[in-house]
Amino acid sequence: MWAQIINAILGIWLMASATILGYADAKTITDNQHIVGPVIASFAIISWWEATRAVRLYNVLPAAWLLLAPFVLGYDNATATINNMAVGALVLGLSFVKGKVEGTYGGGWASLWKKDSLHAREALKTPRTDLEK
Amino acid sequence: MEHKEQGIPPGWSYNPASWGQRLPIVVAAIVGFGIATYLALFQLKVFDTVWDPFFGDGSRKILTSKTSQILPIPDAALGALGYLVDALAGVIGGVRRWRTMPWIVIVFGLAVGPLGFISVLLVVLQPVLYDAWCTLCLASAAISVVMIGPAMDEMLASLQYMRRVKDARVSLWKAFWGYKEVQGKVI
Repeated sequence: MWAQIINAILGIWLMASATILGYADAKTITDNQHIVGPVIASFAIISWWEATRAVRLYNVLPAAWLLLAPFVLGYDNATATINNMAVGALVLGLSFVKGKVEGTYGGGWASLWKKDSLHAREALKTPRTDLEK
Repeated sequence: MEHKEQGIPPGWSYNPASWGQRLPIVVAAIVGFGIATYLALFQLKVFDTVWDPFFGDGSRKILTSKTSQILPIPDAALGALGYLVDALAGVIGGVRRWRTMPWIVIVFGLAVGPLGFISVLLVVLQPVLYDAWCTLCLASAAISVVMIGPAMDEMLASLQYMRRVKDARVSLWKAFWGYKEVQGKVI
């Protein structure tokens, strides 16, 4: 979970850093950070919980975009380029850190597409007499 | 036996529909409702000023922007309504509601998801379109994003139940609405 806390902070940093580092006048760069930042922070926060930990992988795409953006959008500011690429590399790496998952979730989201799953097997073992009306 | 007392879904280590799991989300929704109501009252001109400790005139700019007036009612009023649905859908039903009333759990999950998505969209639009930030709008967005994770585990338990219903060839319709006659046919 610590990895996703850092990713959330990095997303918020993207929202604030154009102003803090003094290149907020570069409209394209700043807009890009203002769009990607909240997206990264949101995915990271959603993956704080074990049942939705997989959402951390959604950050692979925006993180990869941060690595490419300086070239695709033609950044003309070295500070912004370094900032975006460093944040992109960190978020990319940390999005692969799963962290501890202590609970069990009946086989998780993947089980919804499978016939044989942990929740189906466990349900068969459960006596159901007291559930009848 | 103990598991059934607590309503833990099969294959789970805890019950996502227990009050300990649900109450924090309901509290977050009520706080979000309070914030959104305050912002909506400013948009409806009940209050002349809006509180913003960090961004000065930013909140006023955002809350009177074109985007906020796209719909017939102010966007914060819609947000308040969303939070109210979240709070109600979080409170309704007992600790076994993931199988006794899947509809409310799924309404809950579906209400929490889009509310969070729209909040994040609005957070993006603030600086990009209007070059301004609004403190309470950001706080409201943060609350709606924080609610998504904890609401989804219960949704997962309900969807797994619906999958077992389908595999047992019991009516999905009746199970979804929690008809008495299908209770206990599938666990």
